[in-house]
Amino acid sequence: MDKLYSLSAKSMKELLDKKEVSSVEITKSVIERIEKTDKDVCAYNSYNFENALKNAEAVDTKRANGEALGALAGIPLAVKDNIHVKGLKTTCSSRMLENFVAPFNATVTDKLNASDAIIVGKTTMDEFAMGSSGESSKLAVAKNPWDTSRIPGGSSSGSAVTVAASQVPFAMGTDTGGSIRMPAAYTGIVGLKPTYGTVSRYGIIPLASSFDQAGPMARNVDDLAMLFNAVCGRDKMDAVTKNYTFDGYGDSVKGMKIGVPKEYYGEGVQPAVKERVYAAIETLKAQGAEIMEISLPSTEYALAAYYIIQCAEAASNLGRYDGLRYGFRGSNTSNVEDLYLTTRSEGFGDEVKRRIMLGTCVLSSGYSDAFYKRAKLLQQNIAKEFTDAFKSCDVIITPSIALTAWKFGEKAGNPAEVYAADICTITLNIAGLPGMSVPCGFDSTNNMPVGFQIIGKKFRESDILTVAKCYENAVGGFAVKEF
Amino acid sequence: MKIDIRHIAKLSKLSIPEDQIERFEEEMQAIIQMVENLPEIEGKATAVDTENTMELRADEVIPSASREDMLMNAPQTAAGCIVMPKVVE
Amino acid sequence: MNNKYEIVVGLEVHAELSTKTKIFCGCKNEFGAEVNTNVCPVCMGLPGTLPVLNEKVVEYGIRMGHALNCTINRATKHDRKNYFYADLPKAYQTTQDDVPLCANGYLDILVGDETRRIGITRLHIEEDTAKLIHADEFGGTLIDFNRCGVPLIEIVSEPDMRSAEEAKVYLETLRTILLYLGISDAKMQEGSIRADVNVSVRPVGSKEYGVRVETKNVSSFSGVYNAIVYEANRQIEVLENGGELFQETRRWDDAAGKNVLMRSKEDAQDYRYFPEPDLLGYVIPEELVENLKAELPELPVQKTLRYMNECGLSRADAETIALSKDKAVFFDACMATGKCGPKLLSNWVLGEITRVANERRCEISELPLTVENLVDMIALIENKTISNAAAKTVFEIIVDKDEKPADIVKAKGLAQISDSSALQTIVDSVIAANEKAINDYKGGRTNVLGFLVGQCMKQSKGQGNPAMFKEMMIAAIENS
Repeated sequence: MDKLYSLSAKSMKELLDKKEVSSVEITKSVIERIEKTDKDVCAYNSYNFENALKNAEAVDTKRANGEALGALAGIPLAVKDNIHVKGLKTTCSSRMLENFVAPFNATVTDKLNASDAIIVGKTTMDEFAMGSSGESSKLAVAKNPWDTSRIPGGSSSGSAVTVAASQVPFAMGTDTGGSIRMPAAYTGIVGLKPTYGTVSRYGIIPLASSFDQAGPMARNVDDLAMLFNAVCGRDKMDAVTKNYTFDGYGDSVKGMKIGVPKEYYGEGVQPAVKERVYAAIETLKAQGAEIMEISLPSTEYALAAYYIIQCAEAASNLGRYDGLRYGFRGSNTSNVEDLYLTTRSEGFGDEVKRRIMLGTCVLSSGYSDAFYKRAKLLQQNIAKEFTDAFKSCDVIITPSIALTAWKFGEKAGNPAEVYAADICTITLNIAGLPGMSVPCGFDSTNNMPVGFQIIGKKFRESDILTVAKCYENAVGGFAVKEF
Repeated sequence: MKIDIRHIAKLSKLSIPEDQIERFEEEMQAIIQMVENLPEIEGKATAVDTENTMELRADEVIPSASREDMLMNAPQTAAGCIVMPKVVE
Repeated sequence: MNNKYEIVVGLEVHAELSTKTKIFCGCKNEFGAEVNTNVCPVCMGLPGTLPVLNEKVVEYGIRMGHALNCTINRATKHDRKNYFYADLPKAYQTTQDDVPLCANGYLDILVGDETRRIGITRLHIEEDTAKLIHADEFGGTLIDFNRCGVPLIEIVSEPDMRSAEEAKVYLETLRTILLYLGISDAKMQEGSIRADVNVSVRPVGSKEYGVRVETKNVSSFSGVYNAIVYEANRQIEVLENGGELFQETRRWDDAAGKNVLMRSKEDAQDYRYFPEPDLLGYVIPEELVENLKAELPELPVQKTLRYMNECGLSRADAETIALSKDKAVFFDACMATGKCGPKLLSNWVLGEITRVANERRCEISELPLTVENLVDMIALIENKTISNAAAKTVFEIIVDKDEKPADIVKAKGLAQISDSSALQTIVDSVIAANEKAINDYKGGRTNVLGFLVGQCMKQSKGQGNPAMFKEMMIAAIENS
């Protein structure tokens, strides 16, 4: 069969269940596709082809023997290179971990293995997930399949690209401030950041521990739900996870109340983006949803609060890279103090250093009250505003990002402006809420994809997916880049 | 608010070359600017969120990992330990 | 010590808890295992790992909090303390900052004839660090992570102690409480209790505190005493020479018997505390807190006072028993039988029984000796069935074998003869055989009486009642 790689996961599953194709055939098709196209889009830091074929063969054997199979049996996927897969490198696209081999599996990896999914490789990302463009990677720098001179968005750049370029049907990303939703929007796919505490963080190298959440990225809503269902749920290795089961989803928004917060449609949002998001809202209205304007006034302070908390946690999380126990070891090893300095100065890129210093600064004596403690209070206020808003609506819709994919290098040297682009997505991480980016057409000025964000109540991923599914049906599916 | 990059770098165990100090300082300053625009808000964040709490673990032994796996990424090992440059106290 | 100055001491005591597993992972918490065998990705601090809090650590902390009369913060949380050191693989220690598990308590200690109340500022739970082994043969330092993640409680006192002696008693009392509660091995030689000592001095009568200097790394009772004396003398000398003291951190070198500067105030660590984002807060059920309080055993100072006031023991004996959980448990068990009185019992516990336990390097509880046999034996002494000398023979048997003292006395014919006609016969025969001694006694050398009674005991094969012999001998000589 032709172009097996381009099928949705749902179609692959159907064909596999009917035994019309084997997992080995699908996996081979995917490997060939990656080998052919990855030099152009650079989605991967490392491949796992040999194991993938072996695992596909094992799943085929299980199927032939009539053994019980997992929900993703035989379907290939990719995972972001900050998720441990035992025996493979976990690099976080950093020189610091370039040769670090994971000695254990992330819980997400265990769950994927238990579902009999086939992991074909580790996708590139911004270094230590710090970035929203993918440009800060010190290894592969992924490119947007819609225009390879443009950024794919980050930090889950490789996961977005491998899905958008039809190398695999879906992939796992992680999201700290929009790292799933932004690249999903930039590359025209769907991406879900689940409620904090639904997907285990164990075995995933953190950026900001209280914001980080892994989630699925796919080309359609059904595939996304399938992957999400396989990885969610309480994990005793992650103390913040809750007993959670995914309730499934419908396809009708009749009677649903959709809030539209005016603060997310301000001057910073490009008119071409606004236009597409409003059109999406109109589509949902036509499907029977009730649209209501709401207000989330603390949004304008969210960015500062987000960066303070994120950098504080990140600086602390990154302290362990000191050249002593694993990872890169600096050039001067004559004494421990010099080893620390050379290891960290040579091993981390500039963006990482910038955030470590910012995080150190906001917690340091004399600054903590003005920065960190104030940010924590703002966080509470922002979360409360959402809680109040959700008393009158079921979901909230905003743009996923204020702009569309820019050209590589275009915004270098202006971190504050790049940080500002995160404004639509970060508030969810601050409040611990689930959110999903859904494609809604193209920017008329550059033909790059635009995405809108559906925000749900805590643990109500079902509501979000229902809205997304209804929209997908209404627009007749999402465009896929012929690549 | 003025940020002393040299002091912060020292706390962070980073050495920033002299010719880059100014650039880092400017970039950080732009971010600090955002923070300075925050409103003065009343109150203090709640120390413990009693609405969102965690479960504790029972005191039960889980078999430890193999020493080989735990040391496999170490730059240098000897006698079952990681070796590091001598610590002078 | 210069008596123009008063010493002010506060202690920060770290004690390892004896839970089965570490604080944040399921690795075994044991001392002396082969290097890097009780380790996993979590306690090694590998990237991507997360802590999960051991409920027993919280429980043990609350028990100690109750023993120290603290308020228990039922809603609590953990925080990160960030600093770089080779024994700290995450570059932060997960500890507690602004909401410690327990706070605002006190501990009464007995110093000299006084009861002194030492304020307890706080008690919190945290993780221990890895162990660095300096090994020149490998060209560097080795890191063993077995200890990394072992649960600790840190007990911070108010600056309420006024001498090295008080600090030593405070630490000894804390150690005994840990043992009584069964929450720590409290072995200083294995490093399971360590103290940081804060010392300042001020002119006698002054209300202001002097400049406080912290001495770290003190790991023995004598070390605490010596470190305080050393530091106080150092400070007094500086002041007497017109010098200035600085708030600084020094390190105790036990072998050299002195401290050395570790870091000055300018280099003070900036720990950048913030809430541990890998954990959520938790609320301890009120019922658990109350149950743990109800289960609290009688603690050493209360025991000492009870032994003195209710049992009539001397302060020294009462304290020696109370400060040893092993001795106290045995003593209390014997008393609970109601079969013997406290005085003779305490003599035996502190004498023969302790001697045998020491010889065998074991606890009293590990001896084959049973409470029942011991109290029966003491009862036989008390009702004058056997003499102390005969009791020793009985003890040598019951310390190893579960035999009834009464049976032993019968089998070995150890019963004391108190029948005065039988004793009179012996007294008469001794008088007849020792004419010279009798004359000496009559001539005023009354100390020959001991010799004469000894002769009586010899003739009675140790079974005569020596007090009766003495009385009858005096009467016989004086009437002759």
